[in-house]
Amino acid sequence: MTDSATPSAAGDRPVPLVEFHDVTVAYGRRPVLWNVDLVIDAPCLFGIIGPNGAGKSTLLKAALGLVPLVGGRVRFAGEPLARARHTIGYVPQRESVDWDFPVSAFDVVLMGTYGRLGWFRRPGPAERASARDCLARVGLADVADRQIGRLSGGQQQRVFLARALAQEAAIYLLDEPMAGVDARSQEQIFDVLASLRAAGRLVVVVHHDLRTAAEWFDRVALIDMRLVAAGPTATVLTPDNLRRTYSGQVELLREVGLAVAERGRTS
Amino acid sequence: MSGGLPCSAALVAAASGLSASPGATVIGMAVPGVPYNTLVVACGVAAVGCAAGVVGSLALLRKRPLVGDAAAHATLAGVAGAFLLTGRRDLVSLLTGALVAALVGLGALVLVRRVTRTRDDAATAIVIGGGFGLGIALVSGITARGIPGGGGLEHFLLGHAAALTADDARLLMAVSAAAIALVVLALKEFTLVAFDASFAAATGWPVVLLDQALVTLVAVMVVVGLPAAGAVLVTALIVIPPVAARQWTDRVGTLVALAGGCGAAAALAGVIVTSTRPGLPTGPVIVLAAACFCLVSVVASPRRGWLGRTLRNAAERRAWAAGLLLDTCLRASERGDGTFTVADVTDGRTARAAWRMLEHEGLVERLHGRTADGSVPRDAWRLSGRGLDRARQRRRRAADWAAAFDRAPAAARERFSLELPECAIATDADATRAT
Amino acid sequence: MADTAGGMHLWAIATASVVAAACALVGTLLVVRRQSLLGDAIGHAVLPGIALAVLAGARPGGVAVFGAAVACALVTVGLVQSLRAVAGLAEDAGAGVVFTSLFAAGVVIVTLGGSRIDLDASCVLYGILEMVPFDTVPVGGVEVPRGFASSAAVLAALVAVAVPTWKLQVFSAFDPDGARAAGVPVAAVTTGLLAATAVATVAGFEVVGAVLVVALLVVPAAAAELLVHRLHRVALLAVAFAVGGAIVGYLLAYRWNTSAGGVIAVVLVAEYVVAALLAPEDGCVAQVAGRIRFAWRVAREDRLAAVWRAMEHRGTPAGPRSALEHLAGWWLRVRGRIVGAASLSAAGRREAEMVVRSHRLWEAWLGRHADLPLDHLHPPAEWVEHHLGEAARRRIEAELEHGRGDPHGREIPPEA
Repeated sequence: MTDSATPSAAGDRPVPLVEFHDVTVAYGRRPVLWNVDLVIDAPCLFGIIGPNGAGKSTLLKAALGLVPLVGGRVRFAGEPLARARHTIGYVPQRESVDWDFPVSAFDVVLMGTYGRLGWFRRPGPAERASARDCLARVGLADVADRQIGRLSGGQQQRVFLARALAQEAAIYLLDEPMAGVDARSQEQIFDVLASLRAAGRLVVVVHHDLRTAAEWFDRVALIDMRLVAAGPTATVLTPDNLRRTYSGQVELLREVGLAVAERGRTS
Repeated sequence: MSGGLPCSAALVAAASGLSASPGATVIGMAVPGVPYNTLVVACGVAAVGCAAGVVGSLALLRKRPLVGDAAAHATLAGVAGAFLLTGRRDLVSLLTGALVAALVGLGALVLVRRVTRTRDDAATAIVIGGGFGLGIALVSGITARGIPGGGGLEHFLLGHAAALTADDARLLMAVSAAAIALVVLALKEFTLVAFDASFAAATGWPVVLLDQALVTLVAVMVVVGLPAAGAVLVTALIVIPPVAARQWTDRVGTLVALAGGCGAAAALAGVIVTSTRPGLPTGPVIVLAAACFCLVSVVASPRRGWLGRTLRNAAERRAWAAGLLLDTCLRASERGDGTFTVADVTDGRTARAAWRMLEHEGLVERLHGRTADGSVPRDAWRLSGRGLDRARQRRRRAADWAAAFDRAPAAARERFSLELPECAIATDADATRAT
Repeated sequence: MADTAGGMHLWAIATASVVAAACALVGTLLVVRRQSLLGDAIGHAVLPGIALAVLAGARPGGVAVFGAAVACALVTVGLVQSLRAVAGLAEDAGAGVVFTSLFAAGVVIVTLGGSRIDLDASCVLYGILEMVPFDTVPVGGVEVPRGFASSAAVLAALVAVAVPTWKLQVFSAFDPDGARAAGVPVAAVTTGLLAATAVATVAGFEVVGAVLVVALLVVPAAAAELLVHRLHRVALLAVAFAVGGAIVGYLLAYRWNTSAGGVIAVVLVAEYVVAALLAPEDGCVAQVAGRIRFAWRVAREDRLAAVWRAMEHRGTPAGPRSALEHLAGWWLRVRGRIVGAASLSAAGRREAEMVVRSHRLWEAWLGRHADLPLDHLHPPAEWVEHHLGEAARRRIEAELEHGRGDPHGREIPPEA
C-alpha cells in the first residue's frame, strides 16, 4: 500500500527511477530529515507535501547533493548522482535570485544547456535554438531579451522552468514552483508539467497547497521531518495520515535533533 | 631609542629610490622619441589595471567585491619577509613572497570562519591587522636598521610605478594577459556560478573549485598590482572599475570588457600624472582617476545613471500628464458645443506644460469661426481630428485595461506590458501599438 | 619627569593605552553590529578631512580636526547610501568604492601639501607614537604631551556618553526594528556611534596609523567576545585586552627597534589567537576535548549494551568494532563494570539497560510514526541511543502504547 517497498522477489522488479534509501539529512550537525525510505518506480506527476519547515525542500536538495547526507543513499535508475546528473533537471526556489544581475531571460534559459557543453565551450546555434524553443514552450518568446528584473513574478518562474526544460532531462525536480505565482501562471506551469508527464518524464514537485495537490498529482509523499506515508494520491491523503503529518508530532524529533547537534543528552 | 622611522627620512628614501632607477622619469608621453623603457612600463601598468578590472567584475557579480582586501594587506608582510629571508630585492622574489602571504591570509580567513564564532567582517579585520601590522613592523625594522636595499620596500605601501624596470613590466604584462585569458575562457562557468550557485551545483559544476579559482585570481591580481598601487589601495583597482562599468550595460560580456578598459585607463592616467610630479605615490592617483570615472558613470550614464533616470522619469511624467489632459479635453468637448477654453481644462503648472505638448502635437486647435449663436469666445479651443482619434483610442484602451484588471490583475499587468507607461500619448505609434 | 628617557616612554605608553581603551570601547559595538567594515572604512575615509583641516591652519589634535573627521564620516555614510539608492550598489561594494577614493584623496592632499602640513604620508601609515612625548602643552602647570591630553579627553568624553546610553546602543544593535517600535531613536543612536568611531579613529591615527586603526577597533572586541557573553563584560574585557596589547606592543617595539604601531597590532592578533584556542566553550581546545569525551562515552555505551544483549539471549557478546571500543571494554573491566566474559556488575547493568532502553524506545517510535520497513529501524536507533536522556525517554514512552515491546517483539527495559 505504500511506495516504500520491502525487498520482494529480486530480479523481477525494474530498477526504480528514484530511490531514497534510509536518507537522513542534517544542517550542520542537527538532523532535519530522519530515515526517509522512498521509491518512485514509474514516470508520473509526483508531489511532496507537508507543513512548512518539514524538510520537503531538504529532501530534494539532498537528492541533488546540495546538502550532505548523514546517512543512507539516493539512486537514480540505480546510478549514483555523479553518473546520473545529466538526466536530472532542477528548478530551485526563487527566493535567493539576484534580480539585478545583468542577464536576460534568454541568457538564463541558455544556462540550462551548459551542462551538455562541458568546460570552456561556448553555446552554439543548436543550443541557442533549443533555448528559444523552451522559452516558446512556456509562452515567453516575446520577452526573451528582457533583463530578468523587469519580468513579473509568474514570468520569472516560467523562465526558470524553461531553463530546466533546456536541460532535456528524464527526471525533473521542482522546488515550490507555484509559490508566489498568480493563478493563471500556475495553470500554465501545470500544463507544461503535464505535457512532460505525457512525454514519459518523471516530474517530482515540492508543493505547499493541499487542495491543488489532490487535483494535480498522481502520487504523493507526506513528509514531516520523516516520511509519514507515500503512494497514490487518493490512498495517501486520508484524514488519519494528514493528521499525523500536520498536527506536529515532530517536537520530539526537533528536541532529539538538537541533542544530536550538541552531542549531549536531552535530560 | 627611535622606536620607529622618523617621517622625513621616509620621504628621502622614496626620493632617492626615484632618482636611482634607470629610465624612470616619464616625461611627455605623447611626444615621439619617448624612451622604450618607459613605454613598456606604462603598458605593463595598463595591463595590470585592465586585468584587475576584468577579475574584479567577476568578484562583483559573485557579490564578494572585497574578497581581496585581507589578502592585499597581508602581502606587505610577504614582501618584507621575502626580502629578509632571501636578501634579494628583485621583483620576482618580492612578489612571490607577497603571493605566499596573500594565500596564507586567505587560508587564515577560512580557518577563522570554520573554527570560531567570529563573524566574517571581524575575521577580515583580524587578518588585516595581523598581516599589515606584521608587514609594517618588518619594513620599519628593516629601514631603522639601515639594511641596504631595504628602502625600496616602502614603495609597496602606496605604489611607485616609476621604480619598475622594463623586465618587471613585461612580467606583469604576461601575468595579466594570462589572467584575462583565463577569465575569457571560463566566462560562462564563472557567470553561471555567480548567478545561481545552487543550480550550478545541482547540474554538476564544481562550485567550490570555481570559487577558489576566483579567489586565487583575485589574490594574483592583488600581488601583480602591488608595484603600481601599493598594498593599501590595490583592492580599489579591483572594486572601482567594475562598479563604473556596471552603470553602462546589462550584459556580462560588455561589463567585463568595459571594466578592463576603465582599469587600464585609470592605471595609465596614474602613471602619466605621477611622472610629472615625482614624490607623489602612484597608487592614490590611479584610484582617484578610477573614482572619477565611477562618479561620471553613476551620474551621467543614460541607462542606469542618475541623470538619465531623472530625465526619463520627467519625460514619462509629462507624457502621462498629457494623456490625462487629453481625456479632460475630450470630456469637455462632449459637454456643450465642443469648445473649451484653456482655463477650463488646465489647472496648475504641470497641466500647462502638458497643454503645450498637445498644442505642439497638433491635437488641439484654436477656433476661428463663429459659433451657433453668433458669439465667438476669443480663446475657444477644440480637439482636432487627430486629437479626437487619439483621445478616443486612449479611452478605449483605459477601459480595456480596467476590464482586464477586474478579471485577472496579474495577467493584465503582463499583457499591457511593464514598459509602456499607462495611457501615455507620446506618439501615434504608441497609440496604435496599444490597440 | 618628561625630560628623562623613562619619562618619554611612560608618556608614550600612557597615550597608547588611553587610545586603545577608547577604540576598544567603540569597537565592541561595531563588532556586535557586524559593522567592522565600517570601522575600517571610517579609519581610511577621515584622512582628507583631517588633511584639509590641518592645511587650513587647525592644530593637529585640536577640536577642529575632530570635527572635520566626524564630518568626513558622515559624508562617507551618506555617499554609500546614495550609491545604493542611485546605482543599486550593495553596501560593501559601495563602501569599498567610497573609502578607498577618500583615502587616496587624503594621501594626495597630504603629499601635495608638503611642509605646510604637519602630517606625512608615512606617518599616516605608521603612526607617530614615538613623537608624542615631544609635543607638549601646559595643563594645570604641568607639561603634558598634547597627544595624551587630547586622547584622554576623547576617552573621557566617550565614557561619559557611553555609560548613560549603553542600554540604547545594545537594544539598537540586537533588534533595530524592535528598538524603533519601542521608541528608541535608532537613527540618532547610529549616528552617535558613527561620530564616536570617527573621533576614536583620529585618536588612533597617532598610535597605529590610519590603516591599522581597524585592528585597534575590532581585534580586542573579537577576542573578548569569544570569552564572555554579556555585552558590557565584552566591552570591559576588550578594553583590558587593548590596553595590555598596547603596553606589551610598545615595549616589544622598543626592544626590537621597529614601529610601535605594527607590533601593537600583531600583539592584539596574538591575543585573539590565544583566546580562540583556549576559550572555555568555543575554543579549539575545548571543542577537541568535547569530541574526545563524546567518542569515549559512545564506545563505553556500545560495549555495555553489547554485553547486556549477550546476557539477554545467553550468547557471546559482539566483538568491539573499533580500537576505541576495545580500549573502552578494557577500561570497563578495570572499573569492574564488566565482570568475566559476558556479565555486568549492578552499576554496569543499570547503565547498559538505559542504553538498550533508549535504543528500543526509538525503534518503537520510528516504527509507529515513520514509514520505515522493519529491518531499517536498527541503524538509526544505534545512532540516536546515545543522545536520549531520561526526560526524552519518558516522552517517547508516553507517545507509545504502554505494554508493547519494540517492533521486533523484545521487551523494553524499564526506567532505572
